[in-house]
Amino acid sequence: MATMPPLAREGFHAPGIEEFEWPNIIDLHLFGLDLGINRVVLQMFLVTLTTWLLFYLAFRTPRLVPSGLQNVMESVVDFIRTQIVLENIGRDGLRFLPYLTTLFVFVFLGNLGGVLPVISFPLNGRMALPSIMAICSLLLFISVGVSRQGFFHYFRTALFPPGVPWPIYILLTPIELVSTFVVRPVTLAIRLLANMIAGHLILSVFFVATGYMLTSMNISTLFGLGALVFSVALVAFELFVAALQAYVFTILSAVYIAGALEPEH
Amino acid sequence: MSQPEQPGRPGGGADVVWSIIGTLVAGVLAWGGIGWLLDRWLGTEFLVAVGVLVGAAGAFYLIIRRYGSG
Repeated sequence: MATMPPLAREGFHAPGIEEFEWPNIIDLHLFGLDLGINRVVLQMFLVTLTTWLLFYLAFRTPRLVPSGLQNVMESVVDFIRTQIVLENIGRDGLRFLPYLTTLFVFVFLGNLGGVLPVISFPLNGRMALPSIMAICSLLLFISVGVSRQGFFHYFRTALFPPGVPWPIYILLTPIELVSTFVVRPVTLAIRLLANMIAGHLILSVFFVATGYMLTSMNISTLFGLGALVFSVALVAFELFVAALQAYVFTILSAVYIAGALEPEH
Repeated sequence: MSQPEQPGRPGGGADVVWSIIGTLVAGVLAWGGIGWLLDRWLGTEFLVAVGVLVGAAGAFYLIIRRYGSG
């Protein structure tokens, strides 16, 4: 037993939700708020900078026949344009293309941290970013509706679905109010957050367990080898989820904007 | 991408699914919340359950009215 590596002797400890807590690197308290800089905040700066750099470098000197980074970023913009904007809003929605493209790239890069070595933390696994982005989309579709239809007309069509006998509004209006202005942003944020938390926990547990089995020097080592091979597939799956969730967040924002532009008939 | 003929607003699919789930949750939350508040106000205990049922019924009505004909 004395030759066993320390990891095996200590027993297996599955990583839990404490994986998402990071201590402050720089302490900063303002007005009773903890505005300290921790690893997650640094990663936020990094993702913001990377998003900006990607677009800046790609379109700084655009060429008629794109190559390299311009090619990649043009295909991203084209994807959002055809698959999200034109498909869900129509030509009218092209002025929201910059917002939706930035949103998609930002959410994707935030999620991508979860599968990148060294970083290995999904930014959207913390509530801050998903909720702020969901609030941005909420404010955007409300302001689009108000500016397109006028304040009273927008809230009338949003809260009082047409073609219903008026006593039914007592039943339906609270549902429409909660559905449009509370459930929409909350589900937008929680869907992204929960997917990222689950993905990160699965990866953490899997990798820690693989390491534990590989170093246990008994029959488990064989399972560890199998798990090591399987972990490649798991990382690929998380990469897929990162892209899918960025797509879902963007497409639902587009759908909400479309609903505000064109009221229900 | 092949699109089925859609005379109304483009899109459909993902947004319809999420809209249905959202309406159901909203119905239960809105009227369940009203029932809960009434319970606290009146000192009763059954109105939250009535609220949840009423909310679910209202949400079903909204969903069927909106998507039932298509």
